[in-house]
Amino acid sequence: MKNKHLVLQPWLGLIARLTLGGVLFAAGYLKIDKPDISQMAVRSYEMLPISIANILGLVLPPVEIALGALLILGVVTRVAAALGGFTMFIFIIAIAQAWAKGLNIDCGCFGGGGSVAAEDTRYLQEILRDLGLVFLAAYLVRYPFTKFSIDKKPREISEAIGDVE
Amino acid sequence: MSKAKNPAGGKDNFTRNLVIAVVVGVALIMLVPTILSKQTDTSAAIPASVSAEDGYGIVFNKELTGVPFIEIYEDFQCPACARFESIAGEYIEELITTKKAKVAFHTLSFLGGESQIAANAAACAADEGKFLQLHKTLMANQPSENSGAWTSSYFSTLGLGLGISSPEYDKCISTNKYKGWVNNVAEEGSQRNINSTPTVLINGKEIDRDTAYASLGDFMLAIEKA
Repeated sequence: MKNKHLVLQPWLGLIARLTLGGVLFAAGYLKIDKPDISQMAVRSYEMLPISIANILGLVLPPVEIALGALLILGVVTRVAAALGGFTMFIFIIAIAQAWAKGLNIDCGCFGGGGSVAAEDTRYLQEILRDLGLVFLAAYLVRYPFTKFSIDKKPREISEAIGDVE
Repeated sequence: MSKAKNPAGGKDNFTRNLVIAVVVGVALIMLVPTILSKQTDTSAAIPASVSAEDGYGIVFNKELTGVPFIEIYEDFQCPACARFESIAGEYIEELITTKKAKVAFHTLSFLGGESQIAANAAACAADEGKFLQLHKTLMANQPSENSGAWTSSYFSTLGLGLGISSPEYDKCISTNKYKGWVNNVAEEGSQRNINSTPTVLINGKEIDRDTAYASLGDFMLAIEKA
């Protein structure tokens, strides 16, 4: 079992990297040219003071694009995965509190956002999706060395890996 | 994990650091101009019927007191705004011409691109006293979002159709004269927590989202009560 994981890990890591990175990159890319909508989406969570929500609405898309690009390329994977996972964790909290407060909003994860009709909310799906992404991020923090990445596995770890696992 | 012990470490780190620098650089290039453009520019040219105190809205019956103050936040490209205009537009126009209400239009540009072109054109038309006419025509003939229909030449031609013949109007359109103002309107809306279009306020209070946007009767009732 352990040996099997040893063989599969770099490939599983690659899938995790591309999935988490792809989602982050797409989320940022779809919002980057619509700053007004992105700001509105953050405001409508009613979680932050308006001025701070407006700044976050501007900062979030390029940060998502940057983290996504780093993960796709496999550069500083561990740090990028940790930050990406942290972002997803915050999104889960934000969505959960919106749900608990009874707000009717779209998460605005991939553009859009703001008020929607009560029957159009998708809180559970959004939380489950983000939980999955947190899990992938955690996996990458634990095993940051993956196939086809710019990060290189340091030699001493490669040599010692038999003992480590 | 000391990379220094890795014989190939120097080269790997160079590639890695280069990639990090490029990614962070690109992110900053995307971020900084957006943040700067989001600052309210108090020196921006504003249309004659606009004042910063009224949140940069285009105001009708500014001088009236003791009448309901209707504030409309909308985007020329938003289908729900066109729907509201088709329901309540004529009534609002009547309130303006009969001096029964003070009305401010805030032309937001949530939908980007052509919303900004249209908002600028609306301000140019306001200077010619044709805002309401342009507003009505655009909402009644709304193309699909950012389809390329709303260009400078479209608005020049539309101006002729509305009876605007001054060269200032054409110049206002082609130079995007009120670009700064369009940004200021958007910025004011975001500071005022306007989270959907249309948003209509009567004396500072939003009308009932479940009823008053979709029915003229309920909207009239809301005005009466104000």
